[in-house]
Amino acid sequence: MPTPSRALKRLLTKPLRLPHLRSYVPKHDDPPIFAFNGERDDIVREVVRRMEDRCVEERLQLDYVLNEVAYEEIRRLEQQRDDEAKESLGFWKSSVRKIGKMSEHERKELFRTICERMSKDIAGNFDPRVYAIATRAVPHLLTGIMKPGSLPDDLMHLGSGHIPVDDLLRVEGSTDQLRALAKRGTLVFVPTHSSNLDSVALGYALMRENLPPVVYGAGKNLFTNPIVSFFMHNLGAYRVDRRVRAALYKDALKAYSTVMIERGYHSLFFPGGTRSRSGMVEKKLKLGLAGTAVEAFARNRTRGLHRPVFFVPTTINYGLVLEAETLVEDWLKESGRARYIIDDDEFSQIDRWVAFFRKLAAVESACVIRFGPPIDPFGNRVDGEGRSQSVDGRTIDAGSYVMKRGVACLDTRRDAAYTRELGQVIADAYGRETVLMATQIVSHVLFRRLVKETPGVDLFGRLRHRGEIGMRREELHAELGVVLDRLREMSDRGEVHLSERSRTWKPDALVDRVMKAFVGYHRKTILTEQDGMVVIEDPTLCLYYQNRLNAYAERIAGDAHLPQAREIARLG
Amino acid sequence: MTLMRVGVFGGGSFGVALAKASARGGHVVKLHSRRDPFQGVARPERLDVVSDPAQLADCDLIFLATPSVHVEEVAVSLGRHLDGRHYVVHVSRGLVGDALEPVSHVLRRLTPVRRIGCLAGPISVASLADGEPGGGIVGTEFPEVADAVRDAIGGPSLRLYQTEDLVGCETSSALVGLLALALGYAVEMGFGPSTRAVLMTRGMAEAGRVGVSLGGEERTFAGMAGFGDLLSAVAGDERPEVRLGRAVARGLSLDAAAKEASAYVEGVVIARRIQRHAARKNIDVPISESMADLLEGKTSPSEALAKLMSRKVRRE
Repeated sequence: MPTPSRALKRLLTKPLRLPHLRSYVPKHDDPPIFAFNGERDDIVREVVRRMEDRCVEERLQLDYVLNEVAYEEIRRLEQQRDDEAKESLGFWKSSVRKIGKMSEHERKELFRTICERMSKDIAGNFDPRVYAIATRAVPHLLTGIMKPGSLPDDLMHLGSGHIPVDDLLRVEGSTDQLRALAKRGTLVFVPTHSSNLDSVALGYALMRENLPPVVYGAGKNLFTNPIVSFFMHNLGAYRVDRRVRAALYKDALKAYSTVMIERGYHSLFFPGGTRSRSGMVEKKLKLGLAGTAVEAFARNRTRGLHRPVFFVPTTINYGLVLEAETLVEDWLKESGRARYIIDDDEFSQIDRWVAFFRKLAAVESACVIRFGPPIDPFGNRVDGEGRSQSVDGRTIDAGSYVMKRGVACLDTRRDAAYTRELGQVIADAYGRETVLMATQIVSHVLFRRLVKETPGVDLFGRLRHRGEIGMRREELHAELGVVLDRLREMSDRGEVHLSERSRTWKPDALVDRVMKAFVGYHRKTILTEQDGMVVIEDPTLCLYYQNRLNAYAERIAGDAHLPQAREIARLG
Repeated sequence: MTLMRVGVFGGGSFGVALAKASARGGHVVKLHSRRDPFQGVARPERLDVVSDPAQLADCDLIFLATPSVHVEEVAVSLGRHLDGRHYVVHVSRGLVGDALEPVSHVLRRLTPVRRIGCLAGPISVASLADGEPGGGIVGTEFPEVADAVRDAIGGPSLRLYQTEDLVGCETSSALVGLLALALGYAVEMGFGPSTRAVLMTRGMAEAGRVGVSLGGEERTFAGMAGFGDLLSAVAGDERPEVRLGRAVARGLSLDAAAKEASAYVEGVVIARRIQRHAARKNIDVPISESMADLLEGKTSPSEALAKLMSRKVRRE
């Protein structure tokens, strides 16, 4: 018998839904997601059918596929030893004993059962009522976390008046165009990823900018918090369990994502796959699931359906990153892969959240989300009406890319090649669309000094120089001034963007602000000031924040700093 | 095999050979050339010579047979008439600019074409024009591009392999061009087979390092696009690069040597650019560096040899 608290926890972490008394009547201008629940079962059936078709097309041997998935699941569940294991281990163990003796028909049945289980586990839910609650409550909740004192007052004025969180989150870029494109095709947001807060911040930004909600594959570990789970599940997020190793599960995820995009559900993917451990802007993207958008586009075309797909390279930029300490340690240990899922980082500790938001309220606009110009799945820019534009400014048919001798067709290898190229185009866009924050720029100037003072020492050696290396205030202001000038020139040329304060403030004021912002949030002190000397107290976090500038280091360094800039650039 | 409309941009000897081979395969061919290469000779059936790039717009597959120095210009003028339907396959042995940008990247940057490939390896004008048994390699990530090239010019006497390592294929091709030049030079200087073998083997190792730094895969250099191509030069295919190397070794100026080789040779300009790129990336390229010095007259053959031979010998 489970204990009451355990039973409650289980109940809460199950996908919880509000009871349906009467069905929602969709309005004319609702985004596609509002109709999701009506299509849900149909989508799951379609996913299962695709998985079956694939098995036939690729002539996979069912007994092999079934054995593989059973073996991987048993291995995972035996390690997990949790409630899920209790529920499912028996199913897999009894299945694996029978596979060998099964007839082909029985194997097909088992295969279908497994595909169904997987697809149902993945599929999300969308409740327009929850969306309505979220639209009104989230900004106030965020505000409440930041300024608890103002909460009662705020709740009295739901939906009206000034919401402090709006000052903290800034949205830049092509929002007008995106609102128009959302009506003409499927938007696929592909942002940089540095914090678990990203999906919340982006979701809120879309809401505020009157852009449609998106479906998003959220790591199952995020569903362990009942409140987060409730909102995510009911706002269309689908669940991705990264612990599942079976190849069949990846097929299920891909099929689900393809079907969703084909049906016009606006989507969000983090093409880096995981949060950037180093703090650097992602350079090599595998795209993974986002690649399914290329297939979805091609599938629609083969059916004669002209539904464009627009990729939106997006950067999410923070002055302070909630999980910085854990992430950078992970990077330095190079164990990023092994610890793909970090369960005990700052994200799961509520006191860190409170400290973080309090701090953000004091720093400049804490988070800047920048939407880059949208592109088609083949890397061409699109105009205001969603038509693909060639480099010489002609309107071209995006469908021509999936044609072979005049006929639209499917080809997995071709689409994989398009996806790889798209990854490069998006990574290049990240470089141009990144918004550099004052904390990162000041950290870069200081870290560059650390590199200069420790010639020939490797990275780990440098990181041991705690509290030893610093710059006199005047020197720091002078060097920062030069760096800011160059960055501002680059920003004028469209090679990068700067936060409001980095663009306009004087170096001394900027340094003051950064010193204040750093104090008290991270457990470790990053910078200290003694007798007019700014000293790097924690080189590791300084490295993390400055890493955002790696790709620009050589371009902003004068001749005197070029050798250090080269060394920094080589970190990336 | 499906019949296609094949375009060829560039009326040099290789372009003409590609056009002829495609026409022989039954395809409808348009050759874009400033002058008519068939003046006074019989023009094959199904082969038209055109002078406006717009006329290539209805082709399925377009071969680009222009020297890399003109690639940007050609990409702009041709790209205007193309879209996502087209397959473009180039045969250039060059890399563009100081950044050593592969021709495929230039095409991607300046045209809307994405299905791009590179034809490389020991494929010769003779194997294309006279049906002498031979082979080559198509570097492309797109299977339909490789299939189209096979349909256009492949056949019982021409085996065309495929690699997805397009950049590796392009860099191999460019660096083999430079090594062929070095080979011609060494032959003319009277170096025997074993010296040439050492030069070529270490040259390929160097080429591999440069290729990897540009995003290629090392094993491509051991295949058809790399050693396959180089062996053909060593076996005496008398390609223009070898002839030019020999002419330079005889003391001719670069211009005079180019005239004697009667072809535009990419290797002359690439050596110095490779050396500069390698310096930026911290890669060892002693042979490219010596070739750059020799071609610019900064060193004598005996000095270059002494410098190469006095380097510390390490593990292979």
